[in-house]
Amino acid sequence: MKGVLFAFLGGMFITLQGVLNANISGEIGTLPAITITQFTGFFLAFTIWLLVRDGNYTQIKSVKTAYLFAGSFGLLIIFNEVTAIHSIGITLTMSMLLISQVLMAFFIDTRGWFGMEKKQIHAPQYIGVTLMVLGVIVMQL
Amino acid sequence: MSEDGIRMVVGLILAATAGAAISLQTVFNNKVNEKTGSWTTTTLALGMGFVFALVASIMAGEFSRIQLGQIDLWYWFAGVTGVGVVFCLVQAMKRLGPTVTISIVMTAQLSTALIWDSFGWMGIEKIPFSMTKLAGILMIIAGVLVFKMRSKEKADLMEVENKKRMLG
Repeated sequence: MKGVLFAFLGGMFITLQGVLNANISGEIGTLPAITITQFTGFFLAFTIWLLVRDGNYTQIKSVKTAYLFAGSFGLLIIFNEVTAIHSIGITLTMSMLLISQVLMAFFIDTRGWFGMEKKQIHAPQYIGVTLMVLGVIVMQL
Repeated sequence: MSEDGIRMVVGLILAATAGAAISLQTVFNNKVNEKTGSWTTTTLALGMGFVFALVASIMAGEFSRIQLGQIDLWYWFAGVTGVGVVFCLVQAMKRLGPTVTISIVMTAQLSTALIWDSFGWMGIEKIPFSMTKLAGILMIIAGVLVFKMRSKEKADLMEVENKKRMLG
């Protein structure tokens, strides 16, 4: 039950994050809005890390440098999200975001990129994609 | 194409690019997570996002235009949602596994979006609720679930692997 609650809150937070960024960007501009929200997020995460000290941060040296820069995508992600929310609304933005996220993850899997185990495309994947695309079209009716 | 049509296409492309970037970021963050730990990863990811956003703001000259008084106190709290996302998802994943977690997360994410659009809270342009919107969302959720389906045998294997990992 606790897990369900966490999952539900997590989903709400994803949407809420997009909406709050969109709202602030309307007041002070998109880039400064992202700077402020990423800073608070960083500050909070850093504080928690100081308290928890989980894992082994010294191992950071053994991670490929490119992977360490993954966080920089946050700028692109929120910028696009905020701009999309302003032009096509939250529901459509979130739907499109979700679909492309699932497809990209699957693409990485089937190609076996970044050392991921290769997966095959079967009937459920074709049916799933068809349903998702139909869903976006139905939303526009 | 009409102006509205162009706006729609651009919006869809932006959202799709963001979605693809989220998946890439998840894979990369996972690599960092394997070696370090979840809070080191979260701190690093948000720190990188902050640095890049700061540099972009300064280069675009957007920072010099803001007055400090324009920054409301609550803006700072908006960043907390980012940590909320990470924390809740990690906790849910531990208890429910990926499939159930993703189903609930998606449902919550899209229904919150639909409700927000319908009410037009917080300066977001109001988009009236319609049954077709709800039907579309249900189809997308169903589509993702079907897409994520695996053969029974493989699912069992995954289950065993996951349990091993949790106990180990």
